[in-house]
Amino acid sequence: MTTTLAGRERGRWAIVLFTAPFFVLFAAVVVAPLGYALWLSLFREQSSGLGFGGAQSVFSGLENYLSTLADPAFRDGFWVIAAYAALYIPLMLGGALALALLLDSGAAQLRRFFQLALFMPHVVPGVIAGLIWLYLYLPGISPIVAALADGGIHWDFLGDRVLSSVVNVAVWEWTGYNMVIYFAALQAIPREVLEAATMDGAGPVRVALRIKVPLIRGAVITTLLFTIIGSLQLFNEPVVMDSVSDGIVSTWTPNMYAYAEAFGKNDYGQAAAASIMLAALAAVLSYFVTRWGNKK
Amino acid sequence: MRGKRVAGVASLLATAVLLAACGDGGGDAGKEAAGSAPEQVVFWGWAKGTKEVVDAFNAAHTDIKIKFEEIPSGNAGGYAKFANAVKAGNAPDLMSVEYPQVPDFVSQGALRDITAETADIKAKYPASVITLVELGGKTWSIPLDAAPQVFIYRKDLFEKNKIEVPKTWDDFRSAAEKVKKADAKARIGSFHPDDPNLLATYAWQAGGQWFSSAGGSWKVSIDDPATQKVAAYWNDLIKDDLVKVQPTFSQEWIASLAEDQVWGYLGANWAAGMIKSNNAPQSGKWTVAPAPNWGTPASGMFGGTTYAVSKDSKHAEAAVEVAKWLTGAPEAWTARLGSGTSSSFPAIADLVPVAAKTFDTGFYGGQDIYQVFSEAYQTIKPGWTWGPSMVQVLTSFKDRLGQVSSGATTVPDVLTAVQADTVEEIKGRGLAVTP
Repeated sequence: MTTTLAGRERGRWAIVLFTAPFFVLFAAVVVAPLGYALWLSLFREQSSGLGFGGAQSVFSGLENYLSTLADPAFRDGFWVIAAYAALYIPLMLGGALALALLLDSGAAQLRRFFQLALFMPHVVPGVIAGLIWLYLYLPGISPIVAALADGGIHWDFLGDRVLSSVVNVAVWEWTGYNMVIYFAALQAIPREVLEAATMDGAGPVRVALRIKVPLIRGAVITTLLFTIIGSLQLFNEPVVMDSVSDGIVSTWTPNMYAYAEAFGKNDYGQAAAASIMLAALAAVLSYFVTRWGNKK
Repeated sequence: MRGKRVAGVASLLATAVLLAACGDGGGDAGKEAAGSAPEQVVFWGWAKGTKEVVDAFNAAHTDIKIKFEEIPSGNAGGYAKFANAVKAGNAPDLMSVEYPQVPDFVSQGALRDITAETADIKAKYPASVITLVELGGKTWSIPLDAAPQVFIYRKDLFEKNKIEVPKTWDDFRSAAEKVKKADAKARIGSFHPDDPNLLATYAWQAGGQWFSSAGGSWKVSIDDPATQKVAAYWNDLIKDDLVKVQPTFSQEWIASLAEDQVWGYLGANWAAGMIKSNNAPQSGKWTVAPAPNWGTPASGMFGGTTYAVSKDSKHAEAAVEVAKWLTGAPEAWTARLGSGTSSSFPAIADLVPVAAKTFDTGFYGGQDIYQVFSEAYQTIKPGWTWGPSMVQVLTSFKDRLGQVSSGATTVPDVLTAVQADTVEEIKGRGLAVTP
């Protein structure tokens, strides 16, 4: 009896010890900043007269939330995100899935090479990717723009069609990453299931679409979830391009809006309110995607 | 047992490290204890030649040492960094602030009132410069340079094609037409939609006045008649494809200078040093001329830096001493311009000969460019003041001017929109404003 009790006691301590670092980190880098942002979002800076007396922080309740929601610049950001997601998610995830299926059925020697080659862009940080592509988009420097112009095609990558240019960078960055996830999931499918399907007369395309894809459904839902949240947080690439693109404004995406409010207008309250609302939307979307994913 | 204790200690340590990391917000400012050790002044800046000046200061002083930290230029993120640092309580002691942003930082309460400390040097500056750093009867920063407008152009190409240097803006337009005729790919200059400061300079030169304060209230008139005139003028140049539309100081712009596709730059004195360092192979081909005007010689000011002490600096007095030396000591100017990349123009008139002697004008065929700067400096229109929300004004301009070249909007329409934005922003901060 006594030994079991002691063992239990020891087990409890072990749990506390092993989970403590996680909770400490979680509190320090998630809960605390979130709480601070919530706190900031309830205040605004108030100056008076000509303003040369400096500014004071005054409690303003939900005013920052209302003024953010009323700001067309903030709302427009969500349209940009919606257009971006509508173009990017099917293109990128569809591409990743197609490539994974091809690799899964393809010649084994080439797998390693393609996996590595396709994954490579993901190793490049977003800001650097933005810069690399910027050089390829910028007239006067880009060999691609010059070659297209020689061929009679005048395509302005950074003007009105800048959305497709941003999507292109994101597809380049993320297709390989998601392909690797799908490929790993495909490898885990029991071979006898596939053999059985083949025995029953299913061709490779049919096996891929009817057997393999449904079996890696979990992986697809997970990547979809991450991609939606990632899309909501679109920031790095457009910010890098903002400096030279006529099509991107400082408040192009909700994240950029929050940044511009904080560091352009020094309105930390409004920036915090915008960030909180963006986070809340991401949470709600994640909930529905997960629920929808678990349904069948 | 033993393993458990080790794990416990490890997790405690991890916590301690985390907490320490959280608490270490103070940065380096204020760490140096008073005593025999030299006082350290943390200084943020980005202008060319700054490092050389700092080295010269540190070599000449034993009681104060500058710790220079190079940051991105103000509008490229430097101001955001500073505003954030002030908020977080780890701002540098001394910060570079360009004239337009001084009221912005004052109204945020980020700067320290240095009226008493600077009383002795005020008389060295002309009124047109002092009014830019004196707000509400107090002095907030120390002017370093002035930035008179000039036109820097390719003398060789102008002469080869028998194009006269434009004296007025009408001349500039006809010269622009001639340049395009001489070389279909070339243009006389560029419109930089991402650099609204340039538009402000043109407006200033034309007699505009974006901001004024009377009776304790701001008056915003970004769309005043003078600015409207300037906006319509540039809108036509863009519409008629007589100038290139390019981001300022971009790779694209530098490439078109190198390929003889842009023959001139409408800017200020400091651009002379920049073009010199970017375009070394074109040495001897460039010349500096007064900027085109609307009938009588006049100039606005394009940029120009001041040094301000941050509100919570623990080394305020030393920081003021440093700023006085950086802006007013002849040795400082020799060091700054000796680097060869800066063609800064001292706001203190007595120092202009020092600057003129130090800058190597070989790139400009030995031309006395400081003479041109000085003459332009005399014609700067007095009375211009900047508003309390310049970062917002510039962003608002940038977002909209980008859409001019595609025809989605026009420069005059942009003025109207920015005017409305600005009034709203100032009102939103609780300031008194009459549009």
